[in-house]
Amino acid sequence: MSLWREILKNVFKKPVTIEYPKVETPIEIDFRGLQYADLNKCNGCTLCALECPSKAIEMRKLPENVKLKHNPRGLYPVINYPSCVFCYRCVTICPVNAYVTTNEYRLATETEKLLSDTLSLKTLKSEGS
Amino acid sequence: MFQKMLRIKAFTHLGKMQSGEMHLTEAVLEIPISLEVPIGPQHPALHEPLMLKVYADGEEVVKVEINTGYNHRGVEKLFEMNNFYKGVFISARICGICNTVHADTYVRGIEQLLGLEPSSRARYLRVLAMELERIHSHMIINAIMAEILGYDTLFMLIMRDREYVMKAKEILTGGRVIADYFMPGGVRRDVDDIKRNRILDLLKKTRPRLEYYRKLFETDPTITNRLIDVGVLRPRDITLHGLVGPVARGSGIKTDARVEDRYDAYGEIDFNMVVHVEGDSLARMLVRWDEALESLKMCEYILTHLPEGQAVVDERKLPRVLPPGEAFTRCEAPRGELTYYIIGSGRDRPYRVKVRTPSFHNIINSGFSYLGYSIADVPVILVSYDPCISCMERAILIKDGEKKYIRLRDIANMKRG
Repeated sequence: MSLWREILKNVFKKPVTIEYPKVETPIEIDFRGLQYADLNKCNGCTLCALECPSKAIEMRKLPENVKLKHNPRGLYPVINYPSCVFCYRCVTICPVNAYVTTNEYRLATETEKLLSDTLSLKTLKSEGS
Repeated sequence: MFQKMLRIKAFTHLGKMQSGEMHLTEAVLEIPISLEVPIGPQHPALHEPLMLKVYADGEEVVKVEINTGYNHRGVEKLFEMNNFYKGVFISARICGICNTVHADTYVRGIEQLLGLEPSSRARYLRVLAMELERIHSHMIINAIMAEILGYDTLFMLIMRDREYVMKAKEILTGGRVIADYFMPGGVRRDVDDIKRNRILDLLKKTRPRLEYYRKLFETDPTITNRLIDVGVLRPRDITLHGLVGPVARGSGIKTDARVEDRYDAYGEIDFNMVVHVEGDSLARMLVRWDEALESLKMCEYILTHLPEGQAVVDERKLPRVLPPGEAFTRCEAPRGELTYYIIGSGRDRPYRVKVRTPSFHNIINSGFSYLGYSIADVPVILVSYDPCISCMERAILIKDGEKKYIRLRDIANMKRG
């Protein structure tokens, strides 16, 4: 028994590899992709920054023009995606379920479109508060 | 002495005498016949850094020295400097291919300290994640074996079909390779009926492929000519050198931590221990194919007989500080027996975590098994042991190349739980 039959079969088949930029990679809806904090829920408790195994989360001050009633300390988490290991410990440990999860795995970005602080601050604007 | 010496008589020139005549003295020169061939740390046959110093007499191997330490990352120290729950994710990063078994063994150690008992459904799901991993781990090492033999077509085909299992793992755990699926008290996400049926469909596609490759490994002359009677280990060698896992089972030693300990849900799931008695490289590879088929059967059984109940644990309610105590857990990783020894000192950090991985036994103790074979057989024998170098680098670095020295006492005093 040899591999000839298998090889001949594959000659007439389409390639199994995905032509990535033209065709999107099939990915699960609940794949652990990039996550960011929803500032309408986040109360700045810093638990995610303390519990992060790769120390990827930094608590930053909110912009000066933003004052949130539920966030007295005025802090919000900014995730450094290059050092994040996507274990979702921050998502599961959050006491107010403030994290928004996506299945986005393509982290390269030209503009600041896919940075954690941009995404987090955008949640605030969409609510209009 | 392992090095054979060629002794020849020669005349050495000591200088001119006063009379101007050349003074020649007879001397014996020793020239080594055996050749030192370094395999690694960077070598096409090795996928991770490991150094095999092979001394060869002609083509025949007379001695092998195994040098390790190129991949040491200080993971055990990292455990001591982070809290118990960060350790769950750190343990998964010790090895990429067998990350769920590492996390499972560590998590069961914490459960021993806490006195927690996971639910029946959680235990079944843990076994499912670990068995899916066993299938793809055994497939990848068989693919690498085909690549080492120069059979790259087979390598590509096995890696293509391995994607079915990777997809199943992605559906189950949310990560294609690193699962991050384990947490003391249960698992981190559940499966619903849609996911269950999708995984079952993928496993249905995998089964004929595994059976086909197993038959191919047994019958194809390209493979059998290189593997049969190469790297033969007698049962005595196995027990003498403490080899574990599929290497031991390929030589007829019945050892399997899943059968002996019946941890997690292995006590409730029916499976057979795969043992081959030939003891050569082919037997070890066939043990892996048979185990992959056995794991597939277990996965199908789990998905059809999944008990009801709560599997996901609320991580916010787990205690941060663990009671003082010791825990010792072991697990059957795809490469053999894996043990964790955890000491808690009543704080939020472990005092010590000792990891003992299967590759540590199988690679460091295997120097004897290369003797008498040709140099071309060395990569084949090495790959048949399924080396996982990132798992086994556990030594403590005492000094580095610079003038800076770190003493053991300083490391011990660094920061401990």
